[in-house]
Amino acid sequence: MNIRPARVDDLLGMQACNLQNLPENYTMKYYLYHALTWPSLSYVAEDDKGRIVGYILAKMEEESAEGEDTHGHVTSISVLRSYRRLGIAKKLMLQSQDAMASLYRASFVSLHVRKSNRAALGLYRDTLGFTVKDIEKKYYADGEDAYAMHLSLK
Amino acid sequence: MPPTPANKRALAPKEAALFKELLTFYESRQLKNGVKTAEKILKKHPEHGETTCMKGLLLTHLGKREEGVELVKKGLRLDLTSHICWHVFGLIQKGEKDYEGTLKSYGQALKFDKENQNILRDAAHLQTQLRHFDSLVESRYILLRIRPNARSNWIALSVAYYLAENPKEALKVLEHYESILKNIPMFDLEYSETMLYHVRLLEELGEFSQALSTLDVNSKSRAILDRTTVMETRARLLSASSAPNAKDAWRAVIDHNPNCVDYYRGYLRSQGIDLENLTDESRAQALATLKDFSEMHPKASTPTRLALTLATGDDFRSLAQPYILSGLTRGIPSLYADIKPLYVDKQKQSAVESIVADALASFSPSQASSQASTSSDSGPDPTHYLWTLYFLAQHHSHQDPQKALDIIEKAIEHTPSLPELYTLKAKTLKRAGDLVGGVAAIETARDLDGQDRFLNTKSWKYWLRACGLGVYQDGVDRAGEIAGLFTKKDAPSPASDLEDMQSSLFLLEEAAAHRRCGKLGPALKKYNAIAKVFNDIEDDQFDFHGYSIRKFTVNIYLNTIKWEDQLRSHPAYVTAAIEASRIFVELHDDPSLASAAETTAQLTDAEKKAKKKAQKAAQKAKVQDDKKGSTQSSANEDKGLEPQTPKDDDPDGMKIATCSDPLERAAKFLAPLVPLVVAGHVSSRHAIDVLAAVYDVAVRRGKLLQAAKALTQAKKLDPDHPELHLRIVDFLHRTSSKPEAEADADADEVLTSFVSQIRTQDQSLDTLNSQYLQRFSTSAPAALAVATAQRILGSELQVVEGTIFSTVENPDIKRDWKANLRAFKLLTTLKSGRADEFRTRCDEQFPLSTVFKLKAETESILKNALQPTEEDEKPEVKE
Repeated sequence: MNIRPARVDDLLGMQACNLQNLPENYTMKYYLYHALTWPSLSYVAEDDKGRIVGYILAKMEEESAEGEDTHGHVTSISVLRSYRRLGIAKKLMLQSQDAMASLYRASFVSLHVRKSNRAALGLYRDTLGFTVKDIEKKYYADGEDAYAMHLSLK
Repeated sequence: MPPTPANKRALAPKEAALFKELLTFYESRQLKNGVKTAEKILKKHPEHGETTCMKGLLLTHLGKREEGVELVKKGLRLDLTSHICWHVFGLIQKGEKDYEGTLKSYGQALKFDKENQNILRDAAHLQTQLRHFDSLVESRYILLRIRPNARSNWIALSVAYYLAENPKEALKVLEHYESILKNIPMFDLEYSETMLYHVRLLEELGEFSQALSTLDVNSKSRAILDRTTVMETRARLLSASSAPNAKDAWRAVIDHNPNCVDYYRGYLRSQGIDLENLTDESRAQALATLKDFSEMHPKASTPTRLALTLATGDDFRSLAQPYILSGLTRGIPSLYADIKPLYVDKQKQSAVESIVADALASFSPSQASSQASTSSDSGPDPTHYLWTLYFLAQHHSHQDPQKALDIIEKAIEHTPSLPELYTLKAKTLKRAGDLVGGVAAIETARDLDGQDRFLNTKSWKYWLRACGLGVYQDGVDRAGEIAGLFTKKDAPSPASDLEDMQSSLFLLEEAAAHRRCGKLGPALKKYNAIAKVFNDIEDDQFDFHGYSIRKFTVNIYLNTIKWEDQLRSHPAYVTAAIEASRIFVELHDDPSLASAAETTAQLTDAEKKAKKKAQKAAQKAKVQDDKKGSTQSSANEDKGLEPQTPKDDDPDGMKIATCSDPLERAAKFLAPLVPLVVAGHVSSRHAIDVLAAVYDVAVRRGKLLQAAKALTQAKKLDPDHPELHLRIVDFLHRTSSKPEAEADADADEVLTSFVSQIRTQDQSLDTLNSQYLQRFSTSAPAALAVATAQRILGSELQVVEGTIFSTVENPDIKRDWKANLRAFKLLTTLKSGRADEFRTRCDEQFPLSTVFKLKAETESILKNALQPTEEDEKPEVKE
């Protein structure tokens, strides 16, 4: 397993990994926007053949709410089902968080998760240490609520 | 005296003020107010070109494209020396993505307004998009001269020089910029990027020590903020200059991220260890180093895994055993995928086999019960046994699929609820040619975890893979239904959502499925959709030509430009181009294939149902579209300058399948790939196929020189490839029996020298062909190439059949159902009377496979295989 900063030529592999694994998908332009705006925040895990088997796509929240500290946001994180139990998600997350803190002085990192997605919720809360900060009603296009989760980087 | 254009342009004071207002309305996108104002001016000055153009532009934004564009053209004719008219006309062209045309119009506009920054900047973006780097430098230079105070103008000029492959000048501009910078704030990302770019330029110019000192000074002062990049670059630069402290730099970056294998390789290389050519001494040194690292970073498996690649003999065994046992006891599903690359070394393969066999013995339940009787301990964890079986099944699945299946059944008996066992079963069956059983197994996996999209994706992929090979056209619909469980609910169909999300996987699989079912039109449509995905990604970069300069994130931007230039070497595009051009060639050779699927195939009930359903859905979509259309026309919103995507006027793909220019379309698909193949960007597994496709198209278009070039290129890559051999014979046969098509004398010379290169004197083509067969007598693809070549050379059908039958008769030819399926197809194409005999023999030789069964047989197998699932679903339907 190889965990390293994402490059532009990883974006198609990240997009394929996301489409295969998660219900929230994005067009390539969105991946490009992330990479070209926050080039150091996204990471990938690749197998022996260089195939992307996991990734974290992350950004900085440009317009924080009044009085809120600068913070990072995980747009998407995913590890192929066949590459679980290796701690890949945690390793990806830690690298990205380090970059958020050192490069952008982020004080915390946020993410959203579907209320019904118990597996992901478990990963964020139990493995990665996030806490539920809020519930965002009808956050998803299909009307489902999201948990807004936070993790302090201080 | 006739009025000069200039005074024709002059407006009365009141209208001149209105015109200014008009421009403001346009800037702020108050479109309707803009139109009204334009109309007021035109009342008094009906021939005013600039106002006419502006009105046209506003109308286009409002969605009245036809009328708008007409007005813009009229306005331009009225005033050909106005920069506004040319600019507006350029904007319309840009909306149509006619970038070359836009640049020309901007060039006209700049003639009349030399220092218009908006146009210059926009032109710079177009020049970058079109890779006109010399003109880009000019534009950026003028912009900097006009506004040297704008910081981004400096970086923009430097980047332009870099792109124009003039890094020295790029550096000069950058250094000048740095020298005039004042009051740089602390913690400035923009400056950090600038200095990283500076280091990059020095590194690319080979000035390693200067690059290093620039990096060190600026990272110590915290001007460069990106720690990871600093550490990586530092290690790389120290290594490049063979500095003794390079290894410390690698160690630092390893401590920062101990899971990146490149860092360990960098460390070892900095120690003078050549990983490609290890000696006993350097191997021992490398292993000792990696051991230290793995003790220092116990949670990182990377150093141990790299050690497994480097170690041999007993060292390997003693490293592999704990590594594998830990994977088995932790239940890591990817353990086999992780280990398998080591099998290139047969000794390692057998070592792994014995380690896992020992593990199985110690974990097996019988062992557990005997232990339980002697002690009160609960014995080994049953999951250890399960994951060991899972590993072993994969280990055997290539060589002995039946053994693998037996192991899987044992595991399923042990734990019937683990989806991984069924995905493995499905994979094993599919590989052995039982595509129908594969579908059934994957459906079981999906049923066990309906929330998981990974299993869902696998499932629709298996359905599509089986289409035309046991599952027929309705399989495409079934795959769509399954995919639809995770696609957006408001999308017109699951397939359209996946297409919008640019899923090349889905498009490729669906295209191949259609093709196997003989539906060439629908297959071509999906390949076109892939071409569109890549066109769109190419177009995506456009916005960043301005954005990245403004943001100063130039390093990643420059990587993006390079990546976009090689974008189509991606396997998805390459496959689409190869397959689409093959279909176009087939259609050129036999246009009746276009409708073959429609007329000859008997529609099954399911297919009829599916067709009806599709028609209904299409109707519904149309009604919705019409509704949308009527609400849209009343809206006052900005619709942009891009024409709306026209409605699909070829829903069933008949138009594309019966097009009059199949070869030209194929050539268009392949054109971007030729330079990428020559530059070595296309994977070797695809490169020959690309060149073969280029040949097939060129030779049919009478472009012999192009055809010969493709063969020459292929010869460099793999001189003995069967597809190349076939085409060499074809080429020599064509050129010897037909008058030269190329009139050009130079071309003639190239061709003559090419022919003399590939053919020894006086050797007949039949001899060439049979000698090739002798050399590769144990290869099925070689036999098929020779058979096809025999047909071209006019051999009797009987002879050709004999060659094809060798793939089932010759015991030295490796059994491969995929090759035999191609052989069967070839016999069918040749209208051989022995085709069915061949099919029966294959069916006997591949007992697990379903691909050689008759349609009715496979349909009943599928029905039986899926029955339990269907029963499960029934109660849900009633609810």
